[in-house]
Amino acid sequence: MNKLNRTMSIITAVLSLTVISSLSLMSFFGKKVQWSFEENRQLAALPEPSFKEMYNGEWSEKNDRYVTDHFVGRSKWIYASNRMQEEMTESIVNGVYVSSERLLDTVIPEQDKKAFSDNISFVNSFSKEYKDTTTVYFAAIPSSTGIYGDILPSDFISRSDSQRINELYEQLSSKIRCIDAYNILKMMKDNYIFYRNDTKWTSYGAYCVYKTVIQKLGFQPTSYDKYSIEHVSDSFRGDLYNRTLSDKPKADILDIYYYPDGAEVISCERVLNDGSVSEGEIYDRSRLGSSDKYSMYLGEDVPVLKIKTSNQNEKKLLVIKDSYADCFIPFLIQHYSEIIVVSPDQLDRPLADIININDYGQTLFLFGINDLDEKISF
Amino acid sequence: MVYSSLMFIYGFLPVALLLYYLTPKRFREYVMLFESMAFCCFISLYFLLFIAAYSIVNYLFGQMIGKLKKNEKLAAIPLTIGIIFDLIMIFGFRTKYFVWLHDMLHAPEGFYPIGISFFTLSAIGTLIDTYKGRIKADMSFVRYSLYIMFFPRIIMGPLLRYGVFAKVLDSRRENLTNIGIGMSLFIKGLAKKVIAADNLYMLYSAVRSSDVSTISAANAWLGITAYLFCLYFNLSGFADMGTGIAYCFGLKLPQSFNYPLLSTRIKYFAARWQSQVIQWLRRYITKPLYSACTKKWIREIVFVGGWTLFGFWYTVSLNGVICGLIMGIALIIENYVLPEKVMKFTGIIYTFLVVILCTVFLSGDSLAFSVKYLLAMLGGNGMIADAKFFYLVKSYIVLILITMYASTSLFRNMMIRSGKAKIRSIIAVASPLIAVATLIICTALISYSGSSDMLLIYL
Repeated sequence: MNKLNRTMSIITAVLSLTVISSLSLMSFFGKKVQWSFEENRQLAALPEPSFKEMYNGEWSEKNDRYVTDHFVGRSKWIYASNRMQEEMTESIVNGVYVSSERLLDTVIPEQDKKAFSDNISFVNSFSKEYKDTTTVYFAAIPSSTGIYGDILPSDFISRSDSQRINELYEQLSSKIRCIDAYNILKMMKDNYIFYRNDTKWTSYGAYCVYKTVIQKLGFQPTSYDKYSIEHVSDSFRGDLYNRTLSDKPKADILDIYYYPDGAEVISCERVLNDGSVSEGEIYDRSRLGSSDKYSMYLGEDVPVLKIKTSNQNEKKLLVIKDSYADCFIPFLIQHYSEIIVVSPDQLDRPLADIININDYGQTLFLFGINDLDEKISF
Repeated sequence: MVYSSLMFIYGFLPVALLLYYLTPKRFREYVMLFESMAFCCFISLYFLLFIAAYSIVNYLFGQMIGKLKKNEKLAAIPLTIGIIFDLIMIFGFRTKYFVWLHDMLHAPEGFYPIGISFFTLSAIGTLIDTYKGRIKADMSFVRYSLYIMFFPRIIMGPLLRYGVFAKVLDSRRENLTNIGIGMSLFIKGLAKKVIAADNLYMLYSAVRSSDVSTISAANAWLGITAYLFCLYFNLSGFADMGTGIAYCFGLKLPQSFNYPLLSTRIKYFAARWQSQVIQWLRRYITKPLYSACTKKWIREIVFVGGWTLFGFWYTVSLNGVICGLIMGIALIIENYVLPEKVMKFTGIIYTFLVVILCTVFLSGDSLAFSVKYLLAMLGGNGMIADAKFFYLVKSYIVLILITMYASTSLFRNMMIRSGKAKIRSIIAVASPLIAVATLIICTALISYSGSSDMLLIYL
C-alpha cells in the first residue's frame, strides 16, 4: 500500500468515525419527543428491562424500535430516503404509490375474513335485536384507491373496493338498507371528492353521498348553493403523507360547509368511557394546529358524541361510524333534533350502558370498507 | 440485531470500538469475547445461553479427543458423538422436523440461532482437525469461544478454520489505517445490503407477486436475475460488513466472494462464490473420500456429491440438492467438453445460464414451483413480454444498471487497477468522501424501519 492510500485510509477512519459518533451522541443526548408531528404517531418509549423479554429477545426488539424512533433528525432521514426510493425503484414508498397527482395506498389489507364476517353478523344481529324500534342503514365508503386505482401501475389493480362493498352488502340482512356510495363517488371522480394526501373523502365527497343518504332517511337534501363554504386550511396532509412524507402532490384543503338557514347546534357533549361528559364542538379549530388536522371535524375521537340541535321534529339518529363519518355528520345535523355519534374503536363497554338504543328511530352505520377488517362490535 | 441497523452502526459499534481501544493490549481478546457475548445478548438472552452452552459442549469434546489421542480408536468416540451433536443442532434448528428439540431446550417461540450454519461447520471442522492432530488440543477456552461467537462473523460472516482464526488473532494489528480500511469495507457491505439487495428483493417480489402460471417469459428472467443478484449482494454484503468490522479491530479475515457473477467459466464462478464454505467441504468431506477411492468415475461422483451438499447447506431441502447437483454436473461436463480456449463472451453467457438454472431451484419454495418457473422462463405461459415487464424495467432501470456494474470486476478494476497513476490518485483522494456519503445514504435508507434485516436465506 502506498503512502497516499494509507493517508486516505486514515482520513476515511477519522471522517467516518466522526460522522458515526456525532450522530450517535446527538441521538443519545438529544431532546426526546414523545410524538412525531410528521408521522402523526406516538413514538416508542424506552423499554423497561425485564428478564422474560430479555430472554426471548423482545426487549432488544423494543430497544431497536426506541433507537430508531429517536434517531436524530428522523423525519429528515425518512424524507431523503423516500425520495431516493422513488428514483431507484417503483414510485412506491412504504406501500403508498407516489405521483404528482396524488398519493394512493397500495397495501392490500390483510383480508381478515373472520373479523369481516364477525362484523357482518354483528350488524345483522343488531338490526334483528332492535327491529321494532330502529331502522338500520349501512353506507360503506371506498378509499381513494378504490376510486382512483386506475392510475396505479398494472399489477396493483387486484385490489377492488367495489367488489368488497358488494360482498358486504350481499351478506347483510335484507332488512338493512344499503347505500351505494361507491357508484356515486365513482361518477363524481373528476371533482375534488378525495384528499390527495389521505385515504379519506373530502367534505364535497361526503356531500355527494349525503344527498342520497338523506333521501333514504326521509328528508330533502339541502342544495349545494345554499351553503356558504369556508376554506379553513389549505395545508392539510393526511395519513398517506404520514407514511411517505412526500410533498409531491399539493397539500389539501379542509372545508367547512355552513347552512345559515338550518337548525343550530344547541349542545355537543363528549362522553368518555368512564361516563364523564365534557363540552365538544362540531368544528374544533384548535385541532388545525395539531399533527392531525382532519380531527378538526368533530374534534378528537371520543367513544360517544351527543349532538342536540334547535330542530323541533323530535327525530333522533344513531350513527355508528369510523373516521370517514367525521366530515359527513355536519351535513346531517340540521335534519335531526338529536344525533348520537358512536366510535366503536374507542368504546370499551356495551353501548346500551351509555344510551338507550330504542330511543333512536334510525341507525346509520358508516364505515370505510377497509376499516371493516377490524372489529367494530361493542 | 444485524449489522445493517441503526442500533448497531450508531450504538453498538462505536461503543465496542471505544471500549476495545481503551483496554490495554493484552486484555483485548477478553474484551472481544465480552463484546461478542453482548452482541449475542442483544439478539436475545436465550441466544447467548444457547451459543455459550454450544461452545462449552464442543470445547469439551475437543478436549476429550485431545486426551484420548494416543489411542486413535478411542478418540474416534468423542469425535463421532461431537459431530452427531452438531449435526442434530443444525438440522434441529434449520428444519421443522425437530420440534421436540425446541421443546427440550425450552427455546422461545420462533427462535432461530442466527449463523448456525456457519458455526456448526466451524465446530465440526475443529473437532476433525483436533482428531487429526492438525491443531493442538490444548487451545484456550477464551479463544475457542471467541472463535464460535466472534460477532463480526456470526451473521453469515466468513467461515474459517480455527487454525486460521488463531493465526489471525496472533497477527492482530490495531492502527488507524486498518480502521480506515475496515470502515470502507463495512460501508461497502452496508451499501451492498441496503442499496442493492433490499431493492432488488423488491423487484423480485414484484415479479413473484403474480401467479407463476401467468408470468411472461421476460418477466421470469427479470425476476430470477434479480434474485441471483440479490442473493449475491446479500451474502457478500454481510461478509463484507463482517470482515470490515474485524478489520477495525485489527483482524484480517479472508474474503468469501471475488466478483463471481461475471466469470468466463463455471469453474471460475465456483472458485469465487462463497469460497470458504466450498473449501470447508473439500477439506473435510470430498478430499478424504478422494484418497479412499482410486477410480476416476467414483471420484467424480464424490465431486458431484460435494456440490450437492453445498446446495443442500443453503436450503436444507430438495431444491437445494438439485441446485448443487446441477452445479456439480455442469462442472464435470465443462471439464470434459470445453476446449482449453473459449471466447470470453461465450464463456460468460453459458456460465451465467448455468448459474441462473441453479438459482431457479435455489429460489423456489418447492420442486413443482421451480419447474413451473422454468417453463415460464421458456415462454411456456404463452407470453414473451407484458406490460408489467416494461413497467418494472422502467421503474428499476437505474438500480439494475448500477447493480450489474457493481457486481462485476470492472468496477473494482476501475477503482484500484486503473493504469493511469493520476486516476488512481483521484480515486484515492475521493474515497473518504465517497465512503461517508455512502454511509449517509445507507443511514437514510434504513431510517424508516431502523434496520434492514431481510436475509433471503437463513443460514
